[in-house]
Amino acid sequence: MVKETMTSEERLMAAISLEKPDRVPIAINLDTAPAARLLGLNSWEVVSQGFGPQLDVVLQVFDEYGGWDGVGGLLPPDLFPVSGMRAKPPSEGSPENQVLEGEVWKPEEYDLLVEVGWQRFVNEQLVFRVSDMTKAEEIAELGSEWMGFLVRFVEEVKKRGAQPYGIMPNVHPFFWMSLTRSMVKFTEDLYYRPDVVERALKAIVPEWTRFAIELSKGMNSKIFFFAEERAGCFFYPMKIFERFWWPYTVEIVDALWSEGIVSLFHLDQCWDQNIPYFKQLPKGSAIIDLDGTTDIFAAKEVLGGHLCIGGDVHPSLLCLGKPEEVEAYCKRLIDEVGRDGGLILGVGCSVPYEAKPENLRAFIETGKNYVPW
Amino acid sequence: MSDALAMALVELKRDEVLGAVKDKAESGDDPLKILEECRRGMTIVGDRFQSGEFYLAEMMLAAEIFKGVVSILDPHMEKVRPPKPLGKVVLATLKGDIHDLGKDIVATLLRARGFEVHDLGVDVLPAVVLDKVKEVNPDFVGFSALITSAFASMKEASELLVESGLREKCKLMVGGGVTTPAVKEHIGADFQTLDAMEGVSYCLKEIGGK
Repeated sequence: MVKETMTSEERLMAAISLEKPDRVPIAINLDTAPAARLLGLNSWEVVSQGFGPQLDVVLQVFDEYGGWDGVGGLLPPDLFPVSGMRAKPPSEGSPENQVLEGEVWKPEEYDLLVEVGWQRFVNEQLVFRVSDMTKAEEIAELGSEWMGFLVRFVEEVKKRGAQPYGIMPNVHPFFWMSLTRSMVKFTEDLYYRPDVVERALKAIVPEWTRFAIELSKGMNSKIFFFAEERAGCFFYPMKIFERFWWPYTVEIVDALWSEGIVSLFHLDQCWDQNIPYFKQLPKGSAIIDLDGTTDIFAAKEVLGGHLCIGGDVHPSLLCLGKPEEVEAYCKRLIDEVGRDGGLILGVGCSVPYEAKPENLRAFIETGKNYVPW
Repeated sequence: MSDALAMALVELKRDEVLGAVKDKAESGDDPLKILEECRRGMTIVGDRFQSGEFYLAEMMLAAEIFKGVVSILDPHMEKVRPPKPLGKVVLATLKGDIHDLGKDIVATLLRARGFEVHDLGVDVLPAVVLDKVKEVNPDFVGFSALITSAFASMKEASELLVESGLREKCKLMVGGGVTTPAVKEHIGADFQTLDAMEGVSYCLKEIGGK
């Protein structure tokens, strides 16, 4: 074991600030289902017991695997409706949390979204379409329970010397629209009624950004997590990205950064063609977290010395590979992406359900022990 | 034959294409010829995707338009003898996974190229795949996966095909966000891709070689 001279917080902040830490920081997104599986438990039983046990299994894995620096990725299915999404909670035949994607709202409702705003649109309309809730009080009660859970999450993680890696699973406004309109319908909106989508984004992004800042401040977090799986070149041409995603993203990052909050971009799927745009963001203002699909080594060539990069051990490697293969890939990441600092070692997207315990251990141990500088 | 309809589809002019197809079908034009013209449009869309000119979103929109065309033409198809399919394909997202976007696109693209597609949907039990393969004797079986909990059910389905002696009669394909060559090896598939058009090209190449 190498001698550690930094706390987890110092290590993560050093990487974000593009400085060389004592060793590479390790951040892991771990949801209930894979955590339960790693402990030999049934995910559907754990989830049915509420928020507390879902956090407990993640913490137990953290403790049993010797800990790491950034803890994130917990995504209780009960919360999906609060974002207007229908969840498919784990069951015996389908053990992972999944979004049951569908057209939750219709194109003619864009006007209402613009009029009442994002949170009221969700709380007064969508929640009741995607859940069994029938009263506003139930949403408030769930929200209050979740905030209590978040406080405990932060306390428990910090008690272990680690840091929350983003506070709450949020999605970029563009991705939110895609998930709640559905991928196909939202794409039709982008191509066949672009002005309507643009008007909605202009209306909701400032509100969403205020929410992000308030939540981060309320939880005393310097990192705000948000996921985007669809705006990249895997799905859309640059003309869509440039009109509907990039300007709003700059707006969000600038607002967060002006409050000293770093944007943690959880970018799934391929973003190879989009990566150069991120160089326009202020130096050190964001973490670009990749899932093993985008070429992380090419991304380093473009963003190195400007933004921290996270990732990206592929789920397939963690599930089907051997520990020595995981170790070799982590070493390559540390050598090539982390050589001058600016790497947070992570798994692609989140720990996959079928991850082999020995591979997760190899991932963590390599991060802790391999220091080529 | 005019290329106007094919090009309108390539340009993603949804209302124009669907309106023209409806008018042509109602005025008694041969539905097979209309379908063929739209298929040529889809082939151009596929070519443009492979060359990097088109993105997945545009291919998806074209596929949606094509689905609309098929739906308009369906009632008129009863009067004509459909051509022999190029080949048969069974597609499924297996147990544990409910994602259908990639599978749906592949299904539409294959139909557009003249394949008979049996789409079993999502969260499909391996035994259901086996039953369908026994029933339709496909040239290809394709599994789509976005999460790793589908690995075990894909492997199980593959093993069921081997045990029943049906595996060697078809090509097994896997695709989707979490698949890699290692996943292909793990389940014993013949082909793996992250790219819907690569899957279609594979089927065309293999069927051409038969």
